[in-house]
Amino acid sequence: MKKANTTDDSILTDELLRQLINVGEVDILIGLPTHNNAKTIGPIVATIQTGLLALFPRERAVIINADGGSQDGTPELVLNAAIDDGRGRSKVSALRTLPVISTQYASSPARGTALRSILAAAELLRARACMVVSPESTQIKTEWLTTLVRPVYAEEFDLVLPTYSRHRFDGMLLTNLLYPMTRALYGWRIREPYALDFAFSGRLGSQFLAQNPWQDETARSGSETYFTLNAIAGQARICQSFLGNREHVERGSSDLIPALRQTVGALFSSLGPHADLWNASTGSQSVPTTGPEVEFTLEPLRVNRKRLREMFSAGVAELESVFQAILSPATLDELRRIAQLEEALFRYPAELWVRTIYEFAAAYHKSVISRDHILQALAPLFRGRALTFLVENRSGSADEVENNVEALCLAFERGKPYLLELWNGRE
Amino acid sequence: MMVDVKPAGDSWYKRAIIYQVHVRTFFDSNGDGVGDFQGLDQKMDYLQELGINAVWLMPFFPSPLRDDGYDIADYFSVHSSYGTLEDFKKFLASAHQRQIRVIIEMVLNHTSDQHPWFQESRSSQNNPRRDWYVWSDTDTGYAKAGINFRDTELSNWARDPVSKSYYWHRFFSHQPDLNYDNPAVREEMWNVMKFWLELGVDGFRLDAVPYLVERENTNCENLPETHAVIKELRRKLDEQFPGKMLLAEANQWPADLRPYFADGDEFHMAFHFPLMPRMFMGVKLEDRKPITEILQQTPEIPPSCQWCLFLRNHDELTLEMLTDMERSYMNDSYAQDKTMRLNLGIRRRLAPLLENDRRRIELMHGMLLSLPGTPSIYYGDEIGMGDNINLGDRNGVRTPMQWTGGWNGGFSVTEPEKLYAPLIQDPVYGYPAVNVISQNRTEHSLLNWMRRILAVRKSTDVFGCGSIEFLYPANHRILAYVRQWRAETILAVNNLSNAAQAVELDLRSYKGNILIEMFGKNIFPRVGELPYLLTLGPYQFYWFRLRRI
Repeated sequence: MKKANTTDDSILTDELLRQLINVGEVDILIGLPTHNNAKTIGPIVATIQTGLLALFPRERAVIINADGGSQDGTPELVLNAAIDDGRGRSKVSALRTLPVISTQYASSPARGTALRSILAAAELLRARACMVVSPESTQIKTEWLTTLVRPVYAEEFDLVLPTYSRHRFDGMLLTNLLYPMTRALYGWRIREPYALDFAFSGRLGSQFLAQNPWQDETARSGSETYFTLNAIAGQARICQSFLGNREHVERGSSDLIPALRQTVGALFSSLGPHADLWNASTGSQSVPTTGPEVEFTLEPLRVNRKRLREMFSAGVAELESVFQAILSPATLDELRRIAQLEEALFRYPAELWVRTIYEFAAAYHKSVISRDHILQALAPLFRGRALTFLVENRSGSADEVENNVEALCLAFERGKPYLLELWNGRE
Repeated sequence: MMVDVKPAGDSWYKRAIIYQVHVRTFFDSNGDGVGDFQGLDQKMDYLQELGINAVWLMPFFPSPLRDDGYDIADYFSVHSSYGTLEDFKKFLASAHQRQIRVIIEMVLNHTSDQHPWFQESRSSQNNPRRDWYVWSDTDTGYAKAGINFRDTELSNWARDPVSKSYYWHRFFSHQPDLNYDNPAVREEMWNVMKFWLELGVDGFRLDAVPYLVERENTNCENLPETHAVIKELRRKLDEQFPGKMLLAEANQWPADLRPYFADGDEFHMAFHFPLMPRMFMGVKLEDRKPITEILQQTPEIPPSCQWCLFLRNHDELTLEMLTDMERSYMNDSYAQDKTMRLNLGIRRRLAPLLENDRRRIELMHGMLLSLPGTPSIYYGDEIGMGDNINLGDRNGVRTPMQWTGGWNGGFSVTEPEKLYAPLIQDPVYGYPAVNVISQNRTEHSLLNWMRRILAVRKSTDVFGCGSIEFLYPANHRILAYVRQWRAETILAVNNLSNAAQAVELDLRSYKGNILIEMFGKNIFPRVGELPYLLTLGPYQFYWFRLRRI
């Protein structure tokens, strides 16, 4: 694997192109975006290889590793999964060869750029079904090949998104914002609009590639979310498949801003191009799902609530001028009020949270200030909402947690006319 | 008149292109509905023009024909339906006049139950020929031996009502196995071979050789005692008839086949059974892996020995030498209709297997003729004949040769009802559409293409005698190899895919050579340090002669 030159108008290196020519048309493409994932990638690749041989032994498959310049030997570990034709490399019994390509994309590490390389490869190889696997998905099982790929390969779905068994406090950005807002706006109850493990049809991949959303920085960093939203907007056939347990990953507070850019930024960015669609959408409906839509686990988890509370209050105070540009006076007043509450009484109510988010979305659309500043300003407010979610669900059962999430979703749906008012009034 | 073929060295079989034919199927000279030796003789010009230089005849001996002649009732004569011994001699002379060698079938392992030897053997426990066959009071012996025709046979033992005991048969129950532990049997079978060698035949295809000897607690295949029998026959052959050839039918893995070459003192040639289904698999998968892997597993054989390669023959396309996964894939790919399946194989001809796709038929022949070995072509495949799966057993691939679009396809003047088997009549493969006369008239017909490629094959000894080195380009849809013999080097490149392909070949070892395409004789760019880029159309193949000029 080596980095080679690209032509001015191509995202593909000459070396990658040569390797794609050698692979030719495939039925199934597995994409692995990586960057220094040597600690986890080996077993993941081995599971993928085993799954392909067991579940799709006759199909033409390829593994494409889009690497962001790993220095820890990640690409070499991926390349070990190749099944060659008898030069003593593979001991695996297989009908056909399994080519593996590792390529370093030209720009700096970013999942969006990696996804773009994978989509480009999928189009050139005319892949019928593609699956992207996160290099951190150590819980992967061979069955994922069935649950994710088969709906695309055999049932004509365009996009298969995962559902997981999660800790109740894992993915709070998802449960408090992404899921309820996507559902309220676009009308589909998609639990994981920001999916790291998913499958899609070659047709959908090509459509997305043709839109070339990577011109926009937000889309570049939040391409998975963008991908899902484009699929919804394009009325693609979407389903969900349960993948089992998703391990809780401890994130530092500094991870929140990039996460907001990747997810909320993409969601807010999508509103402009798809305004006609979500303006006309009312209510929400479920999508076909294999297995449970969601499962919450309830193990005890230590959370520094005091710090969350402090960060919220400090943010409200320090970003006063920014919020004045983004929020309505009434909303800002309310935030000021709850920022003064004692920790024991602190609560960021669902209705206020919904109103806050919709006002942020409208401000983002209007670009009242720098869009990135808008996203950054959301961080302390999200911490306040997360604290409330933690408190409300501290001793709740899984059903109670899900009921609270559902209540929040309904609040987003009820509040949608307010967003329409803001959107259309300010246009 | 005895006419010797032009000597071509002791290893003529390495340069041979074999045409497999059953006398019954080829041409009926006397209008009785059955092909015969006089008819075959009349068609020798056709075979000469085709470009083959050896004919392998399926059994033509007197027989009740319950297994298409593999149930022999008299080893020293010709079945009356096919003519007389004199007719055979005339045919043999006619072939030799055209420099065409004749290989005949020799069924060593068993006879028909109608053979006088068996009739004597069963007549009494005290008969002198009792011990010519394998008898037992029970049906429990040799329990580890497999059953070959598992669709029809439940056991390898059959009870004989006459002698009230059991006889051993590895194939149909009407085919009792000879007892090769008996020296008298070995001597008599050599007498049989000697009889035909003295008439002038050039070699034998020995049927079912792994099964000659039985031993308890073994699978009764490939036993040392069987090899000893073959060695003895070979020694006599070399001593008394130098230059004659033995070809083994042994459907085994390459490692199990290797002992049949021994130190060059058993068989001259053996069919490479495991390669054949993998060629079909490689084309269907569009992946060279099955082909390269089996050839890598194929051991070196003594310099005087040779593999015999084939695409199709008179039997089913055997899938025995495949894993369960591979067999399942082949059945689903080539025999979706379950009536096409027989035993562990597929009873279809080449053209229908390849969906009458001319490009794939050419590609398969391209590989057959360029991989290491002597090719064997099944009659009718040179014109793309079809099959009739409604005929039982393997009879669907043994229908009359289609010479013309007229009465009985030009095979016979008799009433159609009297033909030994109905002609293929469907719109795609039937004799009005697929026949020799019409393909003679068309310059680019399959028949004329076959004539051209056989001429190219014969223009060099490399394919028959040369070494092989696989190139393993990164594009796994491309099967590429270099064949070398003495000062001659040939590069073969095969596109196993139904789409055009680009491939880069590492030919640095041949730097400075010019590539000359062997059909059109056009020159291609000189080989340099950089990977040699070629593009190939769907299922296209190239043969290049490498020349330093």
